[in-house]
Amino acid sequence: MQFSRKDEFREYFVNKFGIPHEVMENYTFWQRGKKVWAFCGIPCTVEDVEILGIRALKISGDVKPSTVFLRVVGKYATRNVIDLNETDAMEFMKGKTIFGNFDAERGYVIVRCNKEALGCGFYTGEGIVSQIPKEYRIQDSWV
Amino acid sequence: MDEKKLSYFEQYRDIIPQFDKFLESLKTPQPYWIRVNTLKISEEALINRLQRKGFVFEIFGELNAYRVVDMPVKHPGSTLEHSLGYYYVQDLASMVPVLALQSKKGDRVLDMCAAPGSKTTMIAEIMGNKGCIIANDANYRRLKSLAGNIERLGITNVIITNRDARNADFGVLFDRILIDAPCSGEGVFRKNPWGFRQITEREHRFLASNQKKMMKNAVRHLKDNGRIVYSTCTFSPTENESVVKYAVEKLNMRVVDVDVPVPHCEGVESWRSEDFSEIRRHVMRIYPHIVDTGGMFIAVLEKR
Repeated sequence: MQFSRKDEFREYFVNKFGIPHEVMENYTFWQRGKKVWAFCGIPCTVEDVEILGIRALKISGDVKPSTVFLRVVGKYATRNVIDLNETDAMEFMKGKTIFGNFDAERGYVIVRCNKEALGCGFYTGEGIVSQIPKEYRIQDSWV
Repeated sequence: MDEKKLSYFEQYRDIIPQFDKFLESLKTPQPYWIRVNTLKISEEALINRLQRKGFVFEIFGELNAYRVVDMPVKHPGSTLEHSLGYYYVQDLASMVPVLALQSKKGDRVLDMCAAPGSKTTMIAEIMGNKGCIIANDANYRRLKSLAGNIERLGITNVIITNRDARNADFGVLFDRILIDAPCSGEGVFRKNPWGFRQITEREHRFLASNQKKMMKNAVRHLKDNGRIVYSTCTFSPTENESVVKYAVEKLNMRVVDVDVPVPHCEGVESWRSEDFSEIRRHVMRIYPHIVDTGGMFIAVLEKR
């Protein structure tokens, strides 16, 4: 299956998270099946591409942003961003839900701590469900 | 330490300088080195953070390379900062091929055997996430670790392909090509002495035959003013100088001198009746007993 260029997905990050256009214009967006990748290099035509850039969105059912891309552009976000204290941030990074009321719309949010984008969370109105992929979750023995 | 495994290296007594010191170094575990991902954080900020957590580092010259002297965890990757992609655990010797490549922002680069991505991510960092890197690996199962590291470090200018580097047509020409070729891996003995398997000369020749095919294919994809860096993590001249000699004699390439800020030795003069006197001064060999790293061979080639 080939990648097709779909730069309209850029608007998702501008509208949902208030990331400035000039930041998002550095990226081109490429769809293959139900996934969208963001790429900032000079596109060059090579055959049999397996992966192009970095996973940005999953579009099966609802539109879900990826933690890895939010870590790249999340520092520029102005909407639907939740800043956690260090203790809650570590729990969030372990994959745990952080309960509380936050100033954000229900749905996917960017979770930050000390201005660092940690990744994607899902705000239910009662708490943030961690969307950190298993391979990036921290363990109790880590520092 | 298994003396039988160590005795395998006796064949190199005449070509490795300070051989007894070399042999001693193989008996000690290889230290960890880290490289800060400056696309995400400054060197100073990360090192301060890790030092506050109990890490002790030794910086290597002006390079973005820190030797882990002490740490509060079993593996240097067991930190929040590693998960956030702020650094990569990478041996100093394995940084040298990328330093020799001297890629620039806007270049089109081919990394022929890219997994698990230590050199690809370092190239991307040097290029400031600009230009384009084709990170290829023939082993499909290894693409997962390659993609995982690229994503963790927030690299966005890489295209991953799964082609056979010996004969694949990538369809474009490149400014820089890195062939970090699959090899017998003698230079990573310290990292994993338990998994080390003694290699026969026949196996070295088989590997060299594949390495020469990759070299030939790389030359085919190189721009006229482009550069190829050939590297392996083995000591065998059959897989090193012999492959470079093939490129010089059969593919109309020349070996180029490049300054790298890591101490290294010249290549070997001859091996099993093959003479390398013409190229030996231009290739680099890094041995574990020089700066406490793994082993590496590096050669820089350009079109004549």
